[in-house]
Amino acid sequence: MASLLHKEYEVVRDDYSLAGKVSSDIKRTLSAVGISPAVLRRIAVASYESEINMIIHAWGGVITLDVMEDGTIQIVFKDPGPGIADLEKALTPGWSTASEKARNMGFGAGMGLPNIKRVSDEFDIQSSEAGTTLTLGFREQA
Amino acid sequence: MNGSVVTYTLERCVKCMRCVQACPTSALRMEDNRVIIDGHHCLNCGKCMRACHSQGLLAKGSTLEDIKNYDYTVCIVPGALISSCRSLDEAENLFYAIRELGFDEVVDFTDIEGQMMQETRILAEADEGLVISSMCPVINKLIEERYPMLVNHLAPLNYPSEIAARKIRERLKDKGDVGIFHLCECEAKLAFAKYPYLNMQYEVDHALATVDIFPLIRENLDKGRLPVTLCREGLQACNPTMMLQMPDDLIADGFDKINDILDMTEFGLLERFRILHLFPCFNGCIGGHLLWGNSYLTKNNIDALTSERRKQPSEINIEKLYSGRIISGDEDPRTLMEKLAFFQKVNEQLELLPGYDCSACGMQTCRIMAEAIVNGTKKLEDCHILHSMKEKDV
Repeated sequence: MASLLHKEYEVVRDDYSLAGKVSSDIKRTLSAVGISPAVLRRIAVASYESEINMIIHAWGGVITLDVMEDGTIQIVFKDPGPGIADLEKALTPGWSTASEKARNMGFGAGMGLPNIKRVSDEFDIQSSEAGTTLTLGFREQA
Repeated sequence: MNGSVVTYTLERCVKCMRCVQACPTSALRMEDNRVIIDGHHCLNCGKCMRACHSQGLLAKGSTLEDIKNYDYTVCIVPGALISSCRSLDEAENLFYAIRELGFDEVVDFTDIEGQMMQETRILAEADEGLVISSMCPVINKLIEERYPMLVNHLAPLNYPSEIAARKIRERLKDKGDVGIFHLCECEAKLAFAKYPYLNMQYEVDHALATVDIFPLIRENLDKGRLPVTLCREGLQACNPTMMLQMPDDLIADGFDKINDILDMTEFGLLERFRILHLFPCFNGCIGGHLLWGNSYLTKNNIDALTSERRKQPSEINIEKLYSGRIISGDEDPRTLMEKLAFFQKVNEQLELLPGYDCSACGMQTCRIMAEAIVNGTKKLEDCHILHSMKEKDV
């Protein structure tokens, strides 16, 4: 399926000062397109959480935003590692491996992935030592 | 509320574009050497007026001439304005001086302002989610315009001045044609009156800009007194540092910080809070642009004004208030494909523009210029930077 709108962003590891900048741009872009507030809210929550994950758990990475022909909004978060050791646990509410530094900054409550899954219409996660790819899909609710 | 209370006075304008650049909703543009204000998007926040160095923009209210059109007139005075008095004695002088302008009664509504704070808390305690206080019209419209996904969080309560006006009308129903005048501390409140803006749905008949009336009030300031009793909670509600703060309240003032907080709310990061109190003006309503006092000085008066005697927040029948505000929520009739096609075309034009957001073309930013080009109201040649670069090449 062809993408009607494509954007790519780079996320830098451990750079907390830029945390949320990509999600803000995604939100602004989709808002400028005219995506409805209800979907935008879910996208904002999921993309912020996923972006923060890349900064605090992974070694940075790349975020891509696509608006597909059928109206699906797809956001892919791809990082180069280190991968999630136990994916099942990571998807359990309350489970967290966040570093002391991250927790001190208010991150790492262990609700990240479960929350992302809850607000997304499509949720796919692939992880190995070579990195994690999280693919999220959102659609306007009929 | 779709109108702007800001009017443009051509002869004083020096065409510096400061007002166009200051607008948080890009509602201003310069066209044929005149500032055009899009009333549909204007928040009436007054940022353009504060940015203006040449008094090219004015907020127009009613005049005192209108008093003679009524059998009985009441002037309602907000806590923000009373806070400029250093003592209760001064407040009593102020009320007398206001009545001398020709009103039959001068009434403060700090008791209602105080009660609305408590109603907001009652709502927040009954509700699972976060409640955003809806006392400031600028915040309400900012959320409608820029943060539509947060509209459902706004407390569905009417404005204190409207409730005050309704109560007064009920009390005075035997007095014939009653005219209610609101002495306003800011541009946004001016917009809530039947005249001069033809908003028929409001209880307040006329809005007066305090700065316009103040020279007349001053003439009578030491001539007499009217008894005044104020409500502490209402006065405190006018200022972010004076208001009673609970551990799960978040209070902020100033436009930039408010935008940060609304962004965080959209990301779902503020779920641990119950109430957001947001003031676009620094120091809250006592920092209103139509007041004369310095808000850092006047906030210290609030304690003094309620130290001798005070009244409690007023009981109001909350059921009656819910019909208050209407959220516009204009539906965009375009399909997603049409929206995307427009967005792409705008991006193509944006690529061609220099991206300095200099406003020299009359539009606030290059993106808004690009939209105007796609809509056919502007041409690429209207960009001054591109124009001068071309001349250099030749």
